[in-house]
Amino acid sequence: MSVLFRTLILRPLRNDLLRSLLTLLAVALGVAVVIAIDLAGDAAAGSFQSSLTTVVGKVDLEITATGGVDERWIGKLAALPIIVRFAPGMQAEVKIEGVGFVTVYGIDLLGAEQARGCGASPALVTKGISARLANRFFINGYPFCKAKTIESGEANFAVIDIADFQQALGRFGKLDRIDVFVEPGEGFENVQRQVTAALPAGYRIARPGARSDENQKMLRSFRWNLRILSYISLVVGAFLIYNTISISVVRRRAEIGILRALGATRQAVLSLFLLEASMFGLAGAALGLLIGRVLAVTMVGLISQTVHALYTSSTPAPIHLGLLDITLAFAAGLATALLSAWGPAREATRVVPMEAMGRGSREVRVRLRLWKNLAIAAVLAVAAWAASLPGPVDGRPIFGYLSTVLSIAAAAMSAPALVAGVNGLLRAPLLKLFGVEGLLASRGLSASLGRTSVMVAALATAIAMTSSVGIMVGSFRETLLLWLDGQLRADLYIRSAEPSSAGEFPPIPTAVIPRLRSVPGIADLDIFTAFEFHYQGQRATLGAGDLDVQRRHARLRFLSGDHDAILRSLSHHDRAIVSEPFSEKHHVHPGDSIAVDLGEHRVALTVAGIYYDYSNEQGYVIIDRTTLLKYLPDQPPTNIAVYLKQGVDKDAVRREIEERTRQFPISVAPNQTLRQAAVEIFDRTFAVTWALEGVAIFVAMLGAANCLLALVLDRRREFGMLRYLGAATSQIRRLILVEAGLIGFFALLLGAALGLVLSRLLIFVINKQSFGWTIQFHLPVAALGGAMLLIWAVTVLAGLYPARVAARLKPIEVIHEE
Amino acid sequence: MIRLELRNVSRTYHLDEQRIPALSEVSLVAEAGTVTVLVGRSGCGKSTLLNLAGAMDFPDSGDVLIDGQSTTGLNERQLTELRRNRIGFVFQSFQLLPTMTALENVELPLLLARKPNTEKIARERLRWVGLEGRERSLPHQLSGGQMQRVAVARALVQQPDILIADEPTGNLDTASGGDVLQLLQRAARELGATLLMATHSAEAAAIADVRVYMRDGSVESIQRNL
Ligand SMILES: Nc1ncnc2c1ncn2[C@@H]1O[C@H](COP(=O)(O)OP(=O)(O)O)[C@@H](O)[C@H]1O
Ligand SMILES: [Mg+2]
Repeated sequence: MSVLFRTLILRPLRNDLLRSLLTLLAVALGVAVVIAIDLAGDAAAGSFQSSLTTVVGKVDLEITATGGVDERWIGKLAALPIIVRFAPGMQAEVKIEGVGFVTVYGIDLLGAEQARGCGASPALVTKGISARLANRFFINGYPFCKAKTIESGEANFAVIDIADFQQALGRFGKLDRIDVFVEPGEGFENVQRQVTAALPAGYRIARPGARSDENQKMLRSFRWNLRILSYISLVVGAFLIYNTISISVVRRRAEIGILRALGATRQAVLSLFLLEASMFGLAGAALGLLIGRVLAVTMVGLISQTVHALYTSSTPAPIHLGLLDITLAFAAGLATALLSAWGPAREATRVVPMEAMGRGSREVRVRLRLWKNLAIAAVLAVAAWAASLPGPVDGRPIFGYLSTVLSIAAAAMSAPALVAGVNGLLRAPLLKLFGVEGLLASRGLSASLGRTSVMVAALATAIAMTSSVGIMVGSFRETLLLWLDGQLRADLYIRSAEPSSAGEFPPIPTAVIPRLRSVPGIADLDIFTAFEFHYQGQRATLGAGDLDVQRRHARLRFLSGDHDAILRSLSHHDRAIVSEPFSEKHHVHPGDSIAVDLGEHRVALTVAGIYYDYSNEQGYVIIDRTTLLKYLPDQPPTNIAVYLKQGVDKDAVRREIEERTRQFPISVAPNQTLRQAAVEIFDRTFAVTWALEGVAIFVAMLGAANCLLALVLDRRREFGMLRYLGAATSQIRRLILVEAGLIGFFALLLGAALGLVLSRLLIFVINKQSFGWTIQFHLPVAALGGAMLLIWAVTVLAGLYPARVAARLKPIEVIHEE
Repeated sequence: MIRLELRNVSRTYHLDEQRIPALSEVSLVAEAGTVTVLVGRSGCGKSTLLNLAGAMDFPDSGDVLIDGQSTTGLNERQLTELRRNRIGFVFQSFQLLPTMTALENVELPLLLARKPNTEKIARERLRWVGLEGRERSLPHQLSGGQMQRVAVARALVQQPDILIADEPTGNLDTASGGDVLQLLQRAARELGATLLMATHSAEAAAIADVRVYMRDGSVESIQRNL
């Protein structure tokens, strides 16, 4: 076996070193992308854990409520007959001179820390900011002094006493949460039962880890889709291994025949070629791990920005390459290799001893199989269509993914027929266009139909995936822009200057409102309060606005029902409108009643309508401000939309507002800024997607170069003969480039068709089921056409090196080789 | 008229460290319209000599002269022109393109040279080799002898001055080999081509005007049949 392996596998690999390396690199890149996305995803989603643990110790339970927890509950809970400590907790992002925005926690600072008087209120600061902070510093004009420096790894924050926090930030009465510390000897279950019984219906009590779990769950669809995208390159790589092993088998047919005659079993031949594939798989995985680890570093930034902008606040954890990832890499590499090599390896076992069949008859067999393959393609296409019909499984578009895989398989199976058919049609135009080189190229490709088809299928897959994602993203973007037009109708938007990520809604001081009302030129103010709430164990956003103002100015689009009638019905009633993703996620329909916790109350809201929304995957529930005030009278606003009177100078009003609210930490932005920010977030979100597509295309290019090189080497005698017949080296070069162009052309035809199918799957099945939004189909013709042209150009470029090899062959050396 | 002349030609191959002297100090003259046959054992340097004569390869020392002009002095473009217009090759293993019809195979040199009326000329050549009616056949649909006749038609399609054939009957049975030899001889007589042919068959040697006996890279003797 080892001798066999050395002569039949290792030596040819070494002799064809460049091609072996190309295949290896392709597999490595495929594995690298998978690993990078996994590592970066883990790191970006990683540390939701509160950095405060180092200061206060392990919290056992957390009490929270929509709109904040009334601080009086600390006293009331303390009267319960349980041995438990209750501690208040608040947090905010605060600007500190010389340091910038810093997370500040307000907790019950223990006496010892309090006592360490330093002339002002004491603050504990982490090492990272301590260096940049003077001994005495101010938060909103309120003096603090550094009482202690704390170690806290990567995270940076400051901790102050709850009373100082409320003073400095002007947030009285409501806490973000109450932390519960269960003392030793007290039963955990007992505490949970008694506290729950004592609290009002609207309050939540949960383990602190629950939030982390929620985050992971919330990110699930997002990460799933990234992960699936990351497998594209691996799929393209699989075509490459298939091609490499097929070439091995075809080239070594004679040797295999002799070996079989000398007594080698079919089993031995099979394992020989599977071993060759495994070598590519394992070596590719090892190299892929290294590349993936490096790629992850660049990706983690992009992914955590997206997580931050669209989901929740998180600090990226360090990238950790664990045993699981290593296992994943090798499993992915090996599985890809073995699966893709299985067919060609089986083919090798069918070589009968001493077979001396020429290549010609082999290709005739391929031709006979065209119809069979076409029939299989049809069956796969029908199966793909059927798989696109069922709904999600556990919130995941499992059948959508299946449909995608089946569509790709159908396209791959139809590739030989397409190549043969179109090639036949192109004969005359090719001769006209490229002269004899065109004719020779076309014949050359039909002579190696099997191999050409695989390459076309691989390229087409990469093109289809790229163009379908392009169409999906383009459609999504177009939909978003249209939606923003209807949504962002106000002239100016006011929010807290405090930076926040998705799910965080820093309040605007209520004192801002009367000052705003005094600014001339303002027609209407829409005072909006948003906060995070829980619905059926999942996070979502509750918003309360002046829906009458909304009705008059903005244009929400509803799935069904009359815009004005729906909005009018909300005022002073326990009625709500919900966004499309919310309705999809929780299966809520107009007329349904949903239970929402508002402060201490559990309120049953009737759904009046479902509106299109593209800003948040977790979904919105919107009520009228009057309804909110009924349950949460002191809730501060988080956003204010300012509608100006006709003909008023927007910039002047903006300056006036800024002037009159100077002492408050708020920011005023014009309409375009918000719009731009939304589009920027969108584009950044898909930056990773584009990177993944780029790698897939690159892998396909490696494949094209690899395949063309093999074609050249196998046909060197033909090229030598052509030189004897008077072909100039430039003609040989052109011949290869025309072949490269033809392969690219076939791939574009197939890829565009498959791409259209996949884009519809992505938009109407996978995206809809994963995220819940309806995207309007939109074909970005120019961009798509440009991209296709580019891909084609690159395919031709991939032919440059093989063309050079062909042109440099020495005719007298190759002509007599058998 | 002297068409082809080799003057003290030597050619040594280099394989890694090894030097393989394939031809040493060979001189030879071939006139227009004559048949010159190289005879000798396998490995004696026949193919090497043919490649030099066809300007596919170049001597280490000495000169190959076509109509008095040395091939060594020609640039790549001139060599391509030379191969296109003045030299035709026939190989032992036919070397037809399997995906092209007989007609297309014959057309190929004309197409490569970007000549007009390719199809008409190719048809005439196929008729000339007696394959009228087989224009659309693919090589694998033809017998060995027919394939070699297509190859001869292809070599002659440009009306070359020099026709080089390397063991053209080596893969054929005696009868079809005879047909091919007859064609080659006619090419010299009717078309005025200078035929240079390597062989080790006695039948092939029989059509020679000049027989060149080779051994270990040298010309042992030259025999003229006049
Ligand atoms: N490309 C080559 N590289 C190295 N040696 C060669 C090459 N071609 C031929 N030879 C050697 O040169 C000698 C002459 O070969 P060749 O001209 O092919 O002989 P013939 O055609 O008479 O059989 C032989 O020893 C052969 O091995
Ligand atoms: Mg020879």
